[in-house]
Amino acid sequence: MIEVRDLQKSYGDLVAVNRISFAIGAGTVFGLLGPNGAGKSTTISCLSGLLRPTAGSITIGGFDMARDAVKAKASLGIVPQELAIYEDLSAQDNLAYWGAAYGLKGTRLKQRVAHVLNRIGLTDRANHLPKHYSGGMKRRLNFGCGLVHEPRTLLLDEPTVGVDPQSRERLFDLVREEKAKGTCVLYTTHYMEEAEKLCDELAIIDRGKIIAAGTLNELRAEFGGNDIIRLSGSFDLPRVEQAVAELQADVLSLSTEFLMIAIKDGARNLPAILQGISATGADIHDTRLSEPNLESLFLKLTGKELRA
Amino acid sequence: MRFILVTVRKELKRRFNDPVGLISAIMIPFVIGFLMASVMGGGGASIKAQLLVTDLDDSFISQGILSALGQDQIADMILLEKVTLDEGQRRINEGDGSGHLVIPEGFGKAWLDGEEVALHLTVNPAQNISPRLIREMLESLLDLGDFVHKVFGEELTIISQNLESNELIGISTADFSSNITDKVSGIADLIFPPVLEAEDVTPQPEGVSVGVALLMFPGILVMAAFFAANGQSANFWTEKEKGTLSRWIASPNAFSAFWVAQWFTAMLLTVIVAAPIMLAGFVYFGISFEKYFTSLAWLMMTGPILFAVLSLIQVLAPSKKAGGMISTLVMFPLLMAGGSFFPTETMPKFIATIARYTPNGRVIEPLKGYLIGEYGAWGVFSELWGILAVTLLLVLLTGRLSARKALA
Repeated sequence: MIEVRDLQKSYGDLVAVNRISFAIGAGTVFGLLGPNGAGKSTTISCLSGLLRPTAGSITIGGFDMARDAVKAKASLGIVPQELAIYEDLSAQDNLAYWGAAYGLKGTRLKQRVAHVLNRIGLTDRANHLPKHYSGGMKRRLNFGCGLVHEPRTLLLDEPTVGVDPQSRERLFDLVREEKAKGTCVLYTTHYMEEAEKLCDELAIIDRGKIIAAGTLNELRAEFGGNDIIRLSGSFDLPRVEQAVAELQADVLSLSTEFLMIAIKDGARNLPAILQGISATGADIHDTRLSEPNLESLFLKLTGKELRA
Repeated sequence: MRFILVTVRKELKRRFNDPVGLISAIMIPFVIGFLMASVMGGGGASIKAQLLVTDLDDSFISQGILSALGQDQIADMILLEKVTLDEGQRRINEGDGSGHLVIPEGFGKAWLDGEEVALHLTVNPAQNISPRLIREMLESLLDLGDFVHKVFGEELTIISQNLESNELIGISTADFSSNITDKVSGIADLIFPPVLEAEDVTPQPEGVSVGVALLMFPGILVMAAFFAANGQSANFWTEKEKGTLSRWIASPNAFSAFWVAQWFTAMLLTVIVAAPIMLAGFVYFGISFEKYFTSLAWLMMTGPILFAVLSLIQVLAPSKKAGGMISTLVMFPLLMAGGSFFPTETMPKFIATIARYTPNGRVIEPLKGYLIGEYGAWGVFSELWGILAVTLLLVLLTGRLSARKALA
């Protein structure tokens, strides 16, 4: 449904997206993960026809975005990161308008508007102006405007930014429903939990490049079966680094107050780790052991926190 | 095309959801118009035509014409000033005066002899109404002269033959007087119809009384169109900031359709804000309602030229705030110079000339001419195509310039 090949977008000397390639099939939620400024939104803008790529090709639903933009766009639904709704038009009018923008009309349009209003939980507020809505309700309406024409491909650009937990869960349900219907979903986020919950496949993007891609399990395998140990307290950096090396563990993150390491068979080795680190004079307040997740993977790959 | 209409409907809904903005666009011109008309003398004050007259004939006939033009009712409309031929030509060429009438030498004698006569009238092309007044007055006088000639032809010939002798030759004074009395009696029933019934009534003017307020009226309507256009032209920035413009561009619709929809919306908004003001004006000035829908149609089709100008300014501006400021800076001088605050008839000549070349002036002047009866409907619409063509060009240019900016 979406095929991206060697996509590049440059602004003069600045390369925002650097020759990335991926493909997303029907009924798949593909997560594009990366910190702010990594190139996620630029990629989405190129995919939605808002930006013309410097190089590479984009195919949506079998239509080339450069050569057959109208047909490619017609099969796309877009939920932009920023709210893109008319606050001086009721929710019903917003949905009806964006439905009409994609060719819906008459009874079909009315049915779709009513259906989407129900799905986003705004039926009882359908005739109210969004300027009187809460932030979460506006987000849901923003989401609904991208769904109303039943697109076969959905681009979701950080759709849960600033959303309350209740609205967030409702949006997750909507994404799952779309997936179940066979919609191809591209989901950008910098929230690891969302990606882990929703995405079938993932790509981690940093500085415009995809640095890792695959299913969650495939990405976890990048750690070679290592576990993650997080320690909080106060640390003497050179001595701690030396101690970790002696314990045959990898330092993922180290500061005077925090240490994250990757080590095989973490549960069995935890006492030795604590003993070794304490021997450096460290004062340990808190210890957590976990399986590797996307955040730790990102840290391993880039050497920096995802939400930095 | 369907989505353009859907967009127009959406835009109108948005405007109706902000009734304060819409009512302001109606009320502000209404109040400004009322105040300006009051300051300038209201509906009672009328325009006086200044007629320069060079009497080269200096006969009792030419003096009679000048005397007729100086009578009370006509003098309310036409201010006579006797000038030499050179001065009259110089002043009318400089635009000083509404018209220059030259009564040629021998005019009186020729008229008495029943020969073809001509009066030479040069009018000021920079004025609309005053030259028309002068022309109509002179035509009425010439019709009267023709009528007198037909009835008293023989007597006039006798007068002509005896002009220099100051005596009646070939006819006695009594016979001459008797002949005139008989003829007057003969046509008395025609020119003095019997009074059948005496009734105390206040006569109503048949046509529209052309006062300053009426001359301002089209400017007020265009001011309303201006306010409507200003709000609509800022919509580009509003939609850009709200992200809905990006949503539009990501949809399968052409970006040019966005601007066409804005244009059509400006047309309908112009009608919406102008219709109530126009209705009030028609009632107040006693303008025939046959002209109502034609006038509204004219405003609907031409008023959006103001939208096109302001949209171009908005798109060229670096930000919404700058666009709003520049639009305001342009709008108010245009309103003043274009004839919305002061009718061109009351302006100095050079400003009146500028006014006629402003976009709002191009809309106001034909409408004014139509409302006061100077043009028929077709006369007004003959200028439509030019205005529409300029509007279209501006909208296309704006669309082209805004395409890149929409995503910047």
